[in-house]
Amino acid sequence: MTIRNVRDHGQRFRPRMACLKKVEAVMLEMQDPKTGVKSQPQKLVITTIPHAITGEDVVTWLANRYTIEAEEAWALGTMLVAFGYIYPLQDHKRLVIKPDTALYRFQTPYFWPAQQWPVEDTDYAIYLAKRNIRKKGVLEMHEQEQYNGLHKWMNHKWDFIVMQAKEQYRAGKERKKPDRAVFDCQERAYWVVHRPPPGTVSAMDYGLERMVDPNAEEKETSDFFRRIMIFTQQSIMRPRVKSSVSIGALVKYSITCNKHDPFLAPCLPSNPWVTDDVTYWLLNMANVDIPTKMRVERWTFSFGELLSDPRGRDDFRLFLKKEFSGENLAFWEACEDLKWGTAATMNEKAQQVYKTFLARGAPRWINIDGKTMEVTVKGLKHPHRYVLDAAQTHIFMLMKKDSYGRYLKSPVFKDTQKRAIGPDQHRFSVSQLEANARKRRPSISPIIVRQQEKEERARMATSGPVDITQVMSKLSNKGKEVPPPKK
Amino acid sequence: MGGTDECKTMLDALNKVTACYRHLVIALGSTSDSQNLREELKKTRKKAQELAVANRNKLTELLKDKSTSKDDRAEYERLWVLFTSSMEILEVDMKRSLEIGQEFPLKVPTRHLIQTGMTGSTTTVAARAMSVQNMKYDADSNIDTADLKELQAEISQVGQMMEEMEMKVQVAPWAVEAKQEAGAELKSTLSVGNSSVGVISICEEEPKDEIDEGGDNNGMITCIAGFIFVAIVVIAGILGYFVIGG
Repeated sequence: MTIRNVRDHGQRFRPRMACLKKVEAVMLEMQDPKTGVKSQPQKLVITTIPHAITGEDVVTWLANRYTIEAEEAWALGTMLVAFGYIYPLQDHKRLVIKPDTALYRFQTPYFWPAQQWPVEDTDYAIYLAKRNIRKKGVLEMHEQEQYNGLHKWMNHKWDFIVMQAKEQYRAGKERKKPDRAVFDCQERAYWVVHRPPPGTVSAMDYGLERMVDPNAEEKETSDFFRRIMIFTQQSIMRPRVKSSVSIGALVKYSITCNKHDPFLAPCLPSNPWVTDDVTYWLLNMANVDIPTKMRVERWTFSFGELLSDPRGRDDFRLFLKKEFSGENLAFWEACEDLKWGTAATMNEKAQQVYKTFLARGAPRWINIDGKTMEVTVKGLKHPHRYVLDAAQTHIFMLMKKDSYGRYLKSPVFKDTQKRAIGPDQHRFSVSQLEANARKRRPSISPIIVRQQEKEERARMATSGPVDITQVMSKLSNKGKEVPPPKK
Repeated sequence: MGGTDECKTMLDALNKVTACYRHLVIALGSTSDSQNLREELKKTRKKAQELAVANRNKLTELLKDKSTSKDDRAEYERLWVLFTSSMEILEVDMKRSLEIGQEFPLKVPTRHLIQTGMTGSTTTVAARAMSVQNMKYDADSNIDTADLKELQAEISQVGQMMEEMEMKVQVAPWAVEAKQEAGAELKSTLSVGNSSVGVISICEEEPKDEIDEGGDNNGMITCIAGFIFVAIVVIAGILGYFVIGG
């Protein structure tokens, strides 16, 4: 029994499925005997079953009805199949529409993907049990896995599932044979849509559930109009940019990042979500020694890209170490740490930052202008998360205008560029893809990753001097025989 | 122990009616929808509700009895979980039949039923649910709209009943252990091994998919064949008896 404390009443609405109501209207139009899609009987060995439609009929009907191009009609038809309103009779696992004589059939309204009816695992378990009976225990691999999983966690309902499966099977046999065959196809198509076999893309992915129906009409009360007024007032007050400027920036961004978008260009070696092969993620991990060519190229796009990539930041840190000006990056990282850290450690961190970077005669003194220094020191009397923001921005711009340019021309970067690898595209056969799907394993736990990062940071802190101040102090203290200041 | 047997038969009946109701609701809105189907739905629903109330009374009576042994109590809890799961499925199917019934009224000429390929009637399924030989149809012609109001009232009734049950009966459903293991449905008493003369392979890449077990119009042929076989064996036996006896 499901926990019924949340009174569901069909109120959990799934945001991305708000288009389903519109699709249903399209489906109803298609049924018109005069203006709808032409159906033909499907001839089988013994009987004929009516109401089969061809892919090209559907696509032409859509193109005529909505006066759109054939390609768009094709995409719309594929969407109808992917949602499960039309199912293919041949090749039932591929939910696409083929604009040729491939046959399809309409799905019965009970099996339509309705927005407010979540697909229940109990029903899936009953379906698998029925399928088990029909196929005499030989289920497909993913079905068998699901079956075992459901048996384990739905164990308390299992008697019911077996009983109901047997009864539904017997009740189904009461119908005539052609209807029985159609029903089997309908049910199978429904579960292909809602429990897709591994390696297929499902149209049923939706975001978080909501408690409000996006299709419901909103009552026009004074509150509703007040919200509209506030929204329009805020839109008027927004700072505006000339569209030529903003569009120009968008175009420039798209041109630069075109080849790096996994939706638009093939992901090398292969997209792990599609082929279940994790080489791409392994090659792009944060602490990898040799980065990929694409990654290195992204570092040249902007300084922000370089800093946000941990491997890029490592490379930059190495370059700064050679130039003995690592304090800027260290300060920037300390500011980030303060911004994102826990509230309990904030005071301590702020004091540490002041002592290390900002105070007069500090070991890693950073060079910021007087006004910013004044503001920051004043703010540090009552430290909060963003007290170092002004100084951080100043240092960021300093690094960007000065060190970044030199980094891109430096031997460190050129060496990394030369060593970077460009993996070849994977070419998997269907059986290899299935083998990959079977070998899926969870990745390293994030707890372990965090521990490794902490160890890494501790190691770096104890390595040699990286700032000019430290080197100078070391050199000057050599003659005076005073031990060098401890970092 | 008589209590559990009685309960089990009632639960089986409820289970059967739930399964048949689901088959009927699946046919709603498609080309096998008709006046008769709406009437069948109404009758099946009423029967389901009667059974539900009877089951609930019996089970609450059994569960309220504090003097039952632990094994008995575990058995009653298992039956309770069976009952509530059945009711959940019934409730969802009733709600869906309301929704689909509202979307597909029968008398409006501009609304067309979905051409699903199913054209046969569902009389036999309904007859199975009602445990009768033939269904009698005697409803008015506007049953598709008139029935919906009743259906709404019944849905709220069922919802209330389930809430009450949840409050009054203290059973932890996740603590129940099922008696059937995985794959238990394969050991059913169905004649799953007989392949018949007629094979429909509707979906071309799985030709062995739709092998039918004991189809209705082939049952006659197998009966006659069996009868002839038995007759021959009896005659052979009689002749043999005469040969040996004589």
